[in-house]
Amino acid sequence: MKLTQINKVYGKKHVLKDVTLEIPAGKITVMVGPSGSGKSTILRSLNLLVTPESGQYDFNGHQIDFSQKISSKEKLAIRRETGMVFQDYNLFPHKTVLNNVIEGPTQVLKMGRKQASELARELLTKVGMADYSDVYPNELSGGQAQRVAIARALAMKPQYLLLDEPTSALDPELELSVLKVLLRLAREKQSMVLVTHNMAFAKQIADKIVFIEEGQVLYDGGPEEFFSQNNPNDRIKNFIASMTMENLS
Amino acid sequence: MWEIIQESLPQLLAAGFKYTIPLALISFFFGLIIALVTALIRLSRQHGLFMLLKWLAQFYVWLFRSTPLLVQLFIVFFGLPYLRIKGVLPHGIKLEPFTAGIITFSLNTGAYASETIRAAISAVPSGQWEAGAAIGMTRLQVLWRIIIPQALRIALPPLSNSFISLVKDTSLAASITIMEMFEVSQQIAAANYQPLLMYTLVALIYAVFTTVLSGIQHYLEKRLGSQIRVS
Repeated sequence: MKLTQINKVYGKKHVLKDVTLEIPAGKITVMVGPSGSGKSTILRSLNLLVTPESGQYDFNGHQIDFSQKISSKEKLAIRRETGMVFQDYNLFPHKTVLNNVIEGPTQVLKMGRKQASELARELLTKVGMADYSDVYPNELSGGQAQRVAIARALAMKPQYLLLDEPTSALDPELELSVLKVLLRLAREKQSMVLVTHNMAFAKQIADKIVFIEEGQVLYDGGPEEFFSQNNPNDRIKNFIASMTMENLS
Repeated sequence: MWEIIQESLPQLLAAGFKYTIPLALISFFFGLIIALVTALIRLSRQHGLFMLLKWLAQFYVWLFRSTPLLVQLFIVFFGLPYLRIKGVLPHGIKLEPFTAGIITFSLNTGAYASETIRAAISAVPSGQWEAGAAIGMTRLQVLWRIIIPQALRIALPPLSNSFISLVKDTSLAASITIMEMFEVSQQIAAANYQPLLMYTLVALIYAVFTTVLSGIQHYLEKRLGSQIRVS
């Protein structure tokens, strides 16, 4: 996955400025940065929920020039090859947990209901939600809902799993249940792009860290250097310190 | 008094089952289809041909909401026969009273219900569109499978209101010579000189009809609700 010099403008606000970014397969790329910096916009550009005005996007044989019109066929193809997990889960409230998970496989991949249900049960077991197949989303806790949302995204067998602040709406205990699932996926070499504010988790899971501020990439490299006390960039050091509440007083 | 009631009640009920209820049910059915199509056009993305359709849809809703239903009935039934265009329509458009009634009531209900449905579709959180798109569904798939089932639940109570209004509004069809309940009650009252009794009686029958019909609607609401859950 590679973005080259992408630009996105909302009204008068230039939210992404010539962002160039490579996202390796089989690795965990973590995007961090202050709120409103453009991390989510980058993430959403990767499955074309957001379309930048200019720049290039290379992914899995697709070559997209954002200054041209993107065919809906190409859009759907790219979305099929990526899975998205949202901050507020966005489960389908009128469908049971199982039906949430099989919706993509049956409707988009045209998989049979039986086969899709088997796949779904397997994935629900993986995220620790096997006992909740017939439950409706409004009966789930936030952590449970988010784990179902992860299963729903995985059901499309995506090349990349994109996670947009998946634990920001959860209290610490529920957050842990979701983070454990993500760690497990990381061990299975599932390619992931994760936007998060949780620095401790980023440090633990990341193969690569990208720091975004004001629509620009300020850091792109390994986690050791990023979190090191010797990071030459004071802005990043301050950011980490404030996120981990190191020097409150 | 009992004799008069006993004599007139069967006539009124017959008119109710023959005209009032079919008028309401058929018009509501067509009205809902018109409303859904109109709402979808008005919510569609704006480009090319859709702009024209959108403008037409907006004009239609405005027209039927800003003019009295009684006047609409008069135009369709008494007015359209005079819409004569040389070569194309030499004799104007002459409609049977019942047909004119169905057309007018459907269009009128459709205009109001389209706003209800439009609001209901807009009320479904945008995250639902995104979640559908993110698993690779087309816009149409998201609309049918994710958005509309949720919008229907939101729209059911206000739609149910529209339906009850429609049942009562069919009494206006008396003015275009449809022999529905209210028309029959007027004729009986004119013959037996009992207007208070006749109109009170017909009012009570309307009340019974709307109560029973909204009871059925309520039951359907629940069933539709649970069907949506199961699917």
